[in-house]
Amino acid sequence: MWMINFLPSWVFHTVLLAGVLGLFITIALAFIPLIKKYILPIQIGSIFLIAAGAWFEGAISNQASWEDKVKEVEAKVAAAELKSAEANTKIVTKVVKQLELVRTRGDDIIKYVDREVAADTEVIKFVENCPIPSIIIKTHNSAALNQPIESNK
Amino acid sequence: MRYLTFFAILLLSACSTTMPVTAKFPAVPDILLEKCPQLQTIDGEKVSIVDYTKTVTINYTTYYGCAVKSDSWIEWYQTQKIIFEQLGN
Repeated sequence: MWMINFLPSWVFHTVLLAGVLGLFITIALAFIPLIKKYILPIQIGSIFLIAAGAWFEGAISNQASWEDKVKEVEAKVAAAELKSAEANTKIVTKVVKQLELVRTRGDDIIKYVDREVAADTEVIKFVENCPIPSIIIKTHNSAALNQPIESNK
Repeated sequence: MRYLTFFAILLLSACSTTMPVTAKFPAVPDILLEKCPQLQTIDGEKVSIVDYTKTVTINYTTYYGCAVKSDSWIEWYQTQKIIFEQLGN
């Protein structure tokens, strides 16, 4: 196929045309002595040129058809890449916003605990008299680490 | 017969069937590749209910942050899969 890329198309059209002309000459002008003398080599040469020309014509046509398909697929891929990038941006923006919201809500609750809960007289009284039993802390830590309770003892 | 086969193969060799364009599945955004952080544990012998509540709150926040990423992974994959599959049609 490199020849199709290397040589211009008109070369292959000419080869086919030369083959057809050669064959036509051997049929129509066979009465001319010079042609009559070389009729067989001209016919063989012409058939060879027709075969080669037809082969290249087919290859050119096939190449053009594939190039069209490639262009079509390239356009589709480019459109899909654009769509994909847009979807990515949309999802990333949404994730960033949601994570920010989650963080803000968490921080607000921590602030509320510091400001309201820790300052509540009932809570202060509770904190002074009732520390959390260590078994509760161990259970919490096991759950937080997703480990069996025994290993955290 | 052998010559005929040879010429048939030769003529068919003019037909190329390789498509030089391939579509790549898109890369995942970095934010979705971040690992979920470890949940916090409570340290110390004497722990107040206030500290306990704060740690639990932080862990819940961590969970929701991680859930957002996990859900977004699913959404990202489904969206990109649809785009990728549409390309094949």
